[in-house]
Amino acid sequence: MSVNNGFKLPRRKLLQGGAVLAAAQIASPFVMTARAADTVKFGWDNPLTGVYAEPGKNELIGAQLAIAQINAKGGILGRQAELVVQDSTSGDAGVAVQVARKMIDQDKVNFLIGNVNSALAIGMAQVANEKSVLMMDPGGHSDTITGATCHWNVFRICNTTQTEANAIAPTLIKDYGKKWYYITPDYAFGHALEAGMIKACAALGGTRIGGDLTPLGTSDYSAYLIKAEAAKPDVLIFLTQGTDMINALKQAVQFGLDKKMHLAGAQQELEALEGLPPEARVGNWVMEWYYKQPNVPHVADFNKLIMAKSGKVPTARTWFGYAGIWSCALAANGAKSLDAVKMAKALQGMHLPPEIALCPDGAFFRAGQNQLIANLYVGKALHTGKDGPDDLFDVTDVVKGTAVAGTLAETGCKMTWPA
Amino acid sequence: MAQLLLFDISNGLITGAFYALMALGLSMILNLSGVINFAHGGFLTLGAYFAYVLQQKIGFFGALLIAPMITALLGLLVERVLIRPLYGRDPLYSLLLTFGLAFILVDGVRIIWGPGSPPYQVPEWLTSPLSSTYFFLTGYRVFMVVLVVTAVAALFYVLNYTKLGLRIRAGTKDLETLSTLGVNTRILRNLNFGLGIYLAGLAGALAAGFLGLSPALGTALLMPSFVAIIIGGLGSLLGTLLGGLLIGVAVGLTTVFYPAASEAVIYVMLGLVLVLRPRGLLGEEGRLH
Repeated sequence: MSVNNGFKLPRRKLLQGGAVLAAAQIASPFVMTARAADTVKFGWDNPLTGVYAEPGKNELIGAQLAIAQINAKGGILGRQAELVVQDSTSGDAGVAVQVARKMIDQDKVNFLIGNVNSALAIGMAQVANEKSVLMMDPGGHSDTITGATCHWNVFRICNTTQTEANAIAPTLIKDYGKKWYYITPDYAFGHALEAGMIKACAALGGTRIGGDLTPLGTSDYSAYLIKAEAAKPDVLIFLTQGTDMINALKQAVQFGLDKKMHLAGAQQELEALEGLPPEARVGNWVMEWYYKQPNVPHVADFNKLIMAKSGKVPTARTWFGYAGIWSCALAANGAKSLDAVKMAKALQGMHLPPEIALCPDGAFFRAGQNQLIANLYVGKALHTGKDGPDDLFDVTDVVKGTAVAGTLAETGCKMTWPA
Repeated sequence: MAQLLLFDISNGLITGAFYALMALGLSMILNLSGVINFAHGGFLTLGAYFAYVLQQKIGFFGALLIAPMITALLGLLVERVLIRPLYGRDPLYSLLLTFGLAFILVDGVRIIWGPGSPPYQVPEWLTSPLSSTYFFLTGYRVFMVVLVVTAVAALFYVLNYTKLGLRIRAGTKDLETLSTLGVNTRILRNLNFGLGIYLAGLAGALAAGFLGLSPALGTALLMPSFVAIIIGGLGSLLGTLLGGLLIGVAVGLTTVFYPAASEAVIYVMLGLVLVLRPRGLLGEEGRLH
């Protein structure tokens, strides 16, 4: 049967066309592979939604700036850097692990980056270790990540919870009292931070007189605050983060607890302070990076670039993302290879250049632990911005990381390298 | 200890009143239209953010008045365009639709206003506790309870003493008969949906000052509201009110003795009610079917 509609396609042409089409089908995977091999991929497995969406977004802004700078300077080993971004969620470790596996197996990322939530970072670290991919944890603080469950290929920018606790405890004990009550988020980070605070407090003669573990995403803290008030502590310690921090602190101030006891905590973030009404910006805290460092070279330039990109001043999270991506690039360029073992070895003891470290005493990865040691900023939250609306933290003491990070033996990290 | 218990029961009633406000809106929509509105939390969040925007232009009280109305108008539109075509079909259709709509609303809020928590300012004279001993009774919380009580009283008045309320109640019993008597049930369902969403918008505008703004604000409050309806009994708005209050008190008391179970306790209550009294505390027999 033939259909003649006036259009004649020569048989030879048809066969040629078919052959070209078939060849394209066969060749295309190789074309795709070649294109993929052109870039060095960073798998960004970090929260874009949920409680940690805001810190996750700021880490991403820092990472994007780093990628742009790396590419402007010639890339990594002559290849352009590329960020592959996927939402890990804020609290579902299953999703974060699934994303990590997909990024490594399908997207063939060279680096795995994440996670704001320590529990998710711990899950991702297991996958990264199983697959021998270099992982950078920009902002998950749980001690075990570079402590008891450390891995040769897992590095971290933010501090351990014990480091933060050691930085803030002396001020709180000296100025406000020894009886502490804790409002602690019920997951890996919260447990680790509370343990760190109890240890740091006990070393200075303080005690834990009570506390509650609160579920992640709690919106109403009133019942916990009623219990805390009944315990009559000297200091009410808030270890919650993100929107949980905002809700807890705001309700505590509404209840007038700031007039009955001192409100404080370990880790504070600019994102949380910005989300608080002015009257609830109270207490003593430690920040891991602060944008206002007039005497530290390159910080003003960094601030300008981030302002131009996002319209807001950088937070510690922005710096975590920035330093995390740059550290990976420096590792690859230092090792002259994308081999994870070679890069991990290149990072041992590596000092970040001042334009990446952006802190007065420099920053380096402690060998044998893979933990970045940098400055910490102890101070007080301010009701209103001192020098501009974003200047909501008054830094009273810049602490050297080496003074509060403890010893390598204390971290419990026993690193095993592949044979 | 007795004082702590008293504090927690009182505090639980305050929280419960808030759950009840949201649950009442849900319950009204479910009773008349048979729609399990999973997007109710999304509407609550929208109400909160509308209040946030309006507050900067017309002040706190203006925002509290207007934001729920705008949310209700949106609710009327959603009912007309999306939900109405699904009446008469398997309830699964509207359930899936509102489930998807919930994601759209929450992500819409996230895209427009960002994932963070913009500060929501309540008037200064409402932010402090009324007394040092009863420190948890802040001006805002008392104001919130008064407003919830007023809103619930107004709702019960509308339902019991107005023509619209009479029709809504009649429609809840038998919509078909009501329709054959000449009542335009399309408009009735539309208005009822709008009224339910108004309550969600009001709960949102109040929650902005009580719990703070975040895109997930309504999502976190949705499940306790559903549980309040089931505990109180399907078809009974009074039961829903009671369910909300009971949940609030149960969560408050559990936090004192066993905080780790403060979330689980409402589901334990749900399980107990379903086993011991499936129609709920004040529900009608057979309504569950």
